[in-house]
Amino acid sequence: MKKLFDPIKDKSSEIIEWLMASPDMPSDDGLLFKIRLSIEEAVENVVRYAYETGNGWMEVSTDLNHDTFELTIELRDAGTPFNPLDRPDPDITLAAEDRPIGGLGIFLCKQLMDDIAYRYENGCNILTMKKNINID
Amino acid sequence: MDVTINQSEGKSLVVLNGRIDTTNADQFLNDINPLMQPEAGDIDMDCSNMDYTSSQGLRMFLMLQKAVSSRKNKLVLRNMKPQVKEVFDITGFSNIITIE
Repeated sequence: MKKLFDPIKDKSSEIIEWLMASPDMPSDDGLLFKIRLSIEEAVENVVRYAYETGNGWMEVSTDLNHDTFELTIELRDAGTPFNPLDRPDPDITLAAEDRPIGGLGIFLCKQLMDDIAYRYENGCNILTMKKNINID
Repeated sequence: MDVTINQSEGKSLVVLNGRIDTTNADQFLNDINPLMQPEAGDIDMDCSNMDYTSSQGLRMFLMLQKAVSSRKNKLVLRNMKPQVKEVFDITGFSNIITIE
């Protein structure tokens, strides 16, 4: 399933809910929690930061491989080229006083999904997240 | 997210109810503003009905912890759901915020 959202300004919730309503999503609550959190962080990143004016488009898709039970979620935008995976992981051993506020969103995606990849192609940022949803 | 705060004898008893996500994180920060103030004292927060938090919510908890630490008080989060606790665990927040 694939859908184009244009414009995306202030549309985070709508985009997240569309993705979560996909028939490709699992029914297991624990998996849904992790997938929703990862989607929210990734979508928010694009809606807030991809376009300098705040206005632009995003195409999102879900795909489920019925042999491997691998769920793929892809986000595509034509905003400023930016690889969120370049950012160093936060130092999670620091004391509260020393922890910077923020920098946790994409780190959460990395931890909660099985695989996350970024590529820049034909003028687009493309973020791909994968999760095996076979709970047996 | 509903935030109920009862302050008495220099302590704050707080009950959280619902989700902290992109739609209401700013409201949540506004709601917990009284807890940022020195007179809030020690904070005891019941999280048994907190269903979800995004990184936006985590930011608020870190800001609260910093405010509480700087005034030499204590913040305790209680009865967190396992899924929410996992988010605190993988981000290292379980090491800097007391969860019981």
